[in-house]
Amino acid sequence: MRAEPIALGGWQRRERTLTIAVVGIFALVILRLFVLQVLEGSRYRELSEENRIRVEVLTAPRGEIRDRKGRLLADCVPSFTVTLDPFDKAYTRAPARLDSTLAALGPMLDVDPEMLRDKIQRERKISFLPIRLKRNVDIKSVAVVSEHRDQLPGVQVESEPLRRYPLGLMASHLLGYVGEISDKELAKPEYANYLSGDLMGRMGIERRYEDLLRGQDGKRFLEVNALGRKGDFLGEKHPVLPKRGTDLELTIDLDVQRAAEDAFEAGARGAVVAIDPRNGEVLALASKPNYDPNEFSTGITQERWNELSNGGNYPLFNRAIQAAYPPGSTLKPFTALAGLEAGAITAGTYFAQSCTGEYRFGSRVFGCWKHEGHGSLAIHGAIVQSCDVYFYQLGLRIGLERLADFMSKLELSGRTGIDLPQERRGLFPDQAWYDRRFGTGRWSRGIILNLAIGQGEVTLTPVKLVQLVAFIANGGTLWRPHLIRSIGSNGLPRSGAPDDSMKHVVAISDRSLSIVRDAMASVVSDPQGTGGQARVDSVTVAGKTGTAQNPHGKDHALFICFAPVESPRIAVAVLVENAGHGSTAAAPIARKVLQAFFHPAPPESAAVVARR
Amino acid sequence: MISPRFSPDIDRPLLLATLLLTVIGIAFVFSATSMPSAAAEHGLYLKQIAYLLLAILAGGLIAAVPYRIYEGKTSYLLYAVGLGLLVLTLFIGHVGLGAQRWLGWGPIKIQPSELAKVATVILLASQLADRKKDWTQIKNLVRPVLTAAVPCLLVLKQPDLGTAIAFVAILFTMLYWAGLPFLYLFFMITPIANVALSFFTPAWLVFLGLLAVILYRSRIRLLPLLLVVGVNLIVGIATPQIWNHLQPYQKQRITTFLDPGADAYGAGYQIIQSKIAIGSGQVFGKGFLHGTQKALAFLPEQHTDFIYSVVGEETGFLGAALVASLYLLLILRGIKVANRARNRFGGLLAIGMTSIFLYHVLVNIWMTVGLAPVTGLPLPLLSYGGSSLVASFLQVGLIQNVAMRWREY
Repeated sequence: MRAEPIALGGWQRRERTLTIAVVGIFALVILRLFVLQVLEGSRYRELSEENRIRVEVLTAPRGEIRDRKGRLLADCVPSFTVTLDPFDKAYTRAPARLDSTLAALGPMLDVDPEMLRDKIQRERKISFLPIRLKRNVDIKSVAVVSEHRDQLPGVQVESEPLRRYPLGLMASHLLGYVGEISDKELAKPEYANYLSGDLMGRMGIERRYEDLLRGQDGKRFLEVNALGRKGDFLGEKHPVLPKRGTDLELTIDLDVQRAAEDAFEAGARGAVVAIDPRNGEVLALASKPNYDPNEFSTGITQERWNELSNGGNYPLFNRAIQAAYPPGSTLKPFTALAGLEAGAITAGTYFAQSCTGEYRFGSRVFGCWKHEGHGSLAIHGAIVQSCDVYFYQLGLRIGLERLADFMSKLELSGRTGIDLPQERRGLFPDQAWYDRRFGTGRWSRGIILNLAIGQGEVTLTPVKLVQLVAFIANGGTLWRPHLIRSIGSNGLPRSGAPDDSMKHVVAISDRSLSIVRDAMASVVSDPQGTGGQARVDSVTVAGKTGTAQNPHGKDHALFICFAPVESPRIAVAVLVENAGHGSTAAAPIARKVLQAFFHPAPPESAAVVARR
Repeated sequence: MISPRFSPDIDRPLLLATLLLTVIGIAFVFSATSMPSAAAEHGLYLKQIAYLLLAILAGGLIAAVPYRIYEGKTSYLLYAVGLGLLVLTLFIGHVGLGAQRWLGWGPIKIQPSELAKVATVILLASQLADRKKDWTQIKNLVRPVLTAAVPCLLVLKQPDLGTAIAFVAILFTMLYWAGLPFLYLFFMITPIANVALSFFTPAWLVFLGLLAVILYRSRIRLLPLLLVVGVNLIVGIATPQIWNHLQPYQKQRITTFLDPGADAYGAGYQIIQSKIAIGSGQVFGKGFLHGTQKALAFLPEQHTDFIYSVVGEETGFLGAALVASLYLLLILRGIKVANRARNRFGGLLAIGMTSIFLYHVLVNIWMTVGLAPVTGLPLPLLSYGGSSLVASFLQVGLIQNVAMRWREY
């Protein structure tokens, strides 16, 4: 076929076809108008005058969160929410009517009417849905509101799932909490699926796995008149049923988690992270002080929020991943590895100067923590007794460049990539960093002495520290710590089988590792070792204490360990802020964690506590 | 200017329909913003009148210059300006209703996609006016398809699916007018139909069978035949595969993009309210300014995208049908002018401008009566908005331009 030659008037056939098509399409429009306005007009007239079609959102319950043994950490329970429809005919006809409704409703709900008015003014601009005035209303208030229904046009009591954390304070930082979406977030395209007043995950697992946990809200159209509901309005689309959120099973072991949290004294601040060194599964992740996520589920007052986020001890702050501390002597095993790998020392190397309690470098004197001195030590003894003078000399012999190189292989200045939001980076400075910070050549070579013993500018988060401990325990693999064991009721297991994207194998010799491992075992088992407080019945433990100086107050206490020494199944990092010595303040906490892991309490008692 | 005394061949019914619709538009912008609850929008009809003066000026100017001047190099220049504005919008545009559609200097905001449509039609008309080319040759189609595809993709990126599809509708109407056989247009749409049907195997098989029969009967050349079969096979087989490998959130993103109404609680509700408004108007309407549904303020867009619901509520079936008839008149006159023009560029120009009206009017009215999804397209001449009004007058001006000079070859 070829295009027909187009001469004068050659478009005529096309004109007729197009005209017929256009007239046909418009005839359809007129027919549709005829059906809507003439045939069904009286029905729509009635709807427009007497009644109102309202959307009712059927909130989807969030997915449940359980620990690795199926014990409940978060679920949903039914609750009452009182809503108001600002587009009810009573208010569109006489806007002032809203004031009298709120004045009557305020005392019934025990809320300031002014606050309710502000909320309505703000939210009615964003959507035409009924506005949630108060969540989790108690049954007595519900009865009062229902009694006065005729004076409260547009007010409804709706049933909604309420997020509940049955264990209260337990595991609050890793779980996170839920809160109402903010207007600022609503304006962003990535939150296009949210409506004003919707709850969303904040922090922790709730935030990180929001997409899975949230589910999908349903909706139905209701016909409402002055007396309340008239029934479903089956118009365009049938009611859309809510889809429940996906359940998550965590790698957390509640026994270990509880032991970690209970091990802290009241008022103490710090963090504990325990992972399985064979695969990076997080067994416990605790931060103290903690908070009760249930407070947020019902909507929290501004004062209480300020108290939690800024008040004294910053309980919302997740010290396990958001805070970086100087590791102190817990870094020594890694300095030792760097020395062994670089060939700076062997197992039998003794330094020229034995420990007399202090070390002179230029005009400066660097002390050992043990003022009377350790005498002459090789690497094993230096780790067991945590001799600073040995490590000063080791640091000098390795040199900043090689030490920083080794630490960067272990990604000390990076994040572990744990599946929790807002993880902070660690830092192990190198030459370039000091040049930037102080200017080229304007810093002393002495910084290496401090770095070698984990003081100075080096900082690590507890979660990074535990990843490094696991690295020693498992023979050279950096596992990305992760918290999800399986997704959905019969979902795909996310761990167990090694997932190569989560592991990073670092080339390191078995000999160096076994020297350090032996020494760490002696830290706990040797009478001269600093970690005797971490001993556990019938299990061999390897560990290292740390006491990190800190310009703002008392030293931070640290302890890292793994067990059993022969085939490690758990690695732990403990940090207690301003608590003094690692050997006395941190090691006992690690012992309780190991105890709970290897000798858990009988399951009955655990179940009783869980139900509480 | 477009004074009837100087231009006896000006299309009077077209002029009348345009002016009547514009006056009706200003009246209903006033009505839709007159409720006490819309205090912030009370003065909008005055702004619309100001836009109208600007639009008349622009339409008059573009009609006064003989249309042949827009052919050839000028058309590329206009097109380049239109594309430039679209690209600028993507980078420094204002976000409105979740998409970057606006470009602004201080208090002035324009929607470049409205002007880009006019520029694209001018360039397409200029390209397709070449009668020496055989428009059934695939290689000759590459240029016009690209001409429509570039602005289409830029608008899609905003994202504004409704306007993006407008470019496709314009292209197809103009290709049809340029002499491309209907079957060719059908073949060009098949891959899209294929994607939609490939999720439903029985329908897909029926579609493939039908396509095979039509291909066999049409006796088209081998190369186009292979191309149609090949593209359809690849698309049909690949689509479900790709879909199944997408993550749930990626799937959701696509469905929300294709059908914004599917997930938003708003869309279904807007349609219901719009239908109640129109239906409750019954035969004679509730009277000008006496609509009650609009007072619910259920839509922020009742003076823009949903203005036809206000017309339907306040003037009933008679008024709504009258407005629809005026649009029908406008479009039929456009087709008439296109047919009458002796110059091929002129005819294509007129049909292209008419197709913009046709697409927008249908999609908007179908949306308000519940026959099409919510797309966010304005109703030309009626909806509040300066860019849309100026663009509409440019379109009418160009159609009149062709009408006045229909004798010229």
